[in-house]
Amino acid sequence: MILYPAIDIRGGQAVRLLQGDYAHETVYDADPVDAAARWGGEGAEFLHVVDLDGAKAGSPQNLDAVRRIAAAVDCPFQVGGGLRDAKSVAALLEAGATRVVIGTAALRDPDFLDTVVAEHGERVVVSVDARGGKVSLSGWTEATERDVEETVRELGERGVARFLCTEIDVDGTMEGPAVSELSRIATSTPAGVIASGGVGHLGDLKRLAVLGRVTPNLEGVIVGRALYEKNFTVAEAIEALR
Amino acid sequence: MSARIAILDYGMGNLRSAEKALEHVGVSARISRDPVEVRAADGVILPGVGAMPRAMERVREYGLDELIAERRGAGVPILGICLGLQLLFESTTEFGGSDGLGLLEGPVGELDADGLKVPHIGWSPVRWERESRLTEGLPSGTPFYFVHSFAPRPSAADLLGSAEYGSRFACAAERENVFGVQFHPEKSSAAGLRLLSNFAGICAKSLTTA
Repeated sequence: MILYPAIDIRGGQAVRLLQGDYAHETVYDADPVDAAARWGGEGAEFLHVVDLDGAKAGSPQNLDAVRRIAAAVDCPFQVGGGLRDAKSVAALLEAGATRVVIGTAALRDPDFLDTVVAEHGERVVVSVDARGGKVSLSGWTEATERDVEETVRELGERGVARFLCTEIDVDGTMEGPAVSELSRIATSTPAGVIASGGVGHLGDLKRLAVLGRVTPNLEGVIVGRALYEKNFTVAEAIEALR
Repeated sequence: MSARIAILDYGMGNLRSAEKALEHVGVSARISRDPVEVRAADGVILPGVGAMPRAMERVREYGLDELIAERRGAGVPILGICLGLQLLFESTTEFGGSDGLGLLEGPVGELDADGLKVPHIGWSPVRWERESRLTEGLPSGTPFYFVHSFAPRPSAADLLGSAEYGSRFACAAERENVFGVQFHPEKSSAAGLRLLSNFAGICAKSLTTA
């Protein structure tokens, strides 16, 4: 299973939010490129970058940081936040992102999703945020009645190669990932699933690795705060996920 | 020399994902029902999604039943996937019943899921019942992705693998140059690609010995 150290960019800085709340922010690096270089230097195989400003504005706001990350690190990285049209997706990929992560717009605008999937295939990841088995939209501010498992199955059949699944209630808490929810989601699709939310300790990663043996499409996990707080190192995390 | 594989198109199924998976492991694959193209291939994949009686009608309509039997007779490796595997057996009870191609021994019947939700959709570990070139490098217990309501009941001689869903069911079969898997290797991550790559290896080998 692949470790994705997370780099959330807000106001040009690398920050972490608690449960997606902009009022509960911790700044870790003045320059997100420092965070990227640090995780890359420690052996990360893939990075996960979120443009929080872009998510709020509805279009990418940190293209320059993406370009600088591409220049500074050797490992591939994916970028999400505010992608709502094909042009923004193309701009991010041109700026050096290996993959793009699309959230709300993928669920609201099927034409947009079909267009970018047709154009960029496996380079498109769809982010599905959930609370109690139901999909949440718009940075978690809008709850829906859409069932997460059904949503993932449907979008997978429409050609989405990979999902990023965040369990909102545990995100940023370091209290452990939502293992049973992740298991149900991963079981419902052959597409790749990257887990996000709640990782605090190496034991959490080991539990996910065990789950990944049963559902091999559970192929990665995003870790944010636990790495910034030095609960474990990138190398230790990679070892735990083996 | 790498093998060329024909993916038989009888109008039922998800052919592109099989083609993409083969391309991914470096195999040249062609979706076709043209006898000339199929005869030029070193291996044949019979895919398929849906109900077996209707699929058999289509297979016969396009003359693929005779073509498949001919290729089998010529020693060309054949791999059935999901419904394609079921078609290789002798018969099914689905929708009032139908004959199959009869290249593998046994009938196809409803999954005995013991109250679990049918169709069986998801990942299940597969236990190999014997060694095979098809499963080389894949440990017994490797999970594969399934979507099905029916499963074959192969003869002991043809049984290659089984899985558990409510009860144990056969999910892989092999007889000489005929292979079949109930799961979807093209949707089963790295393990599925390995199985397809093994199949391509069998095709390439039969090419050099032919």
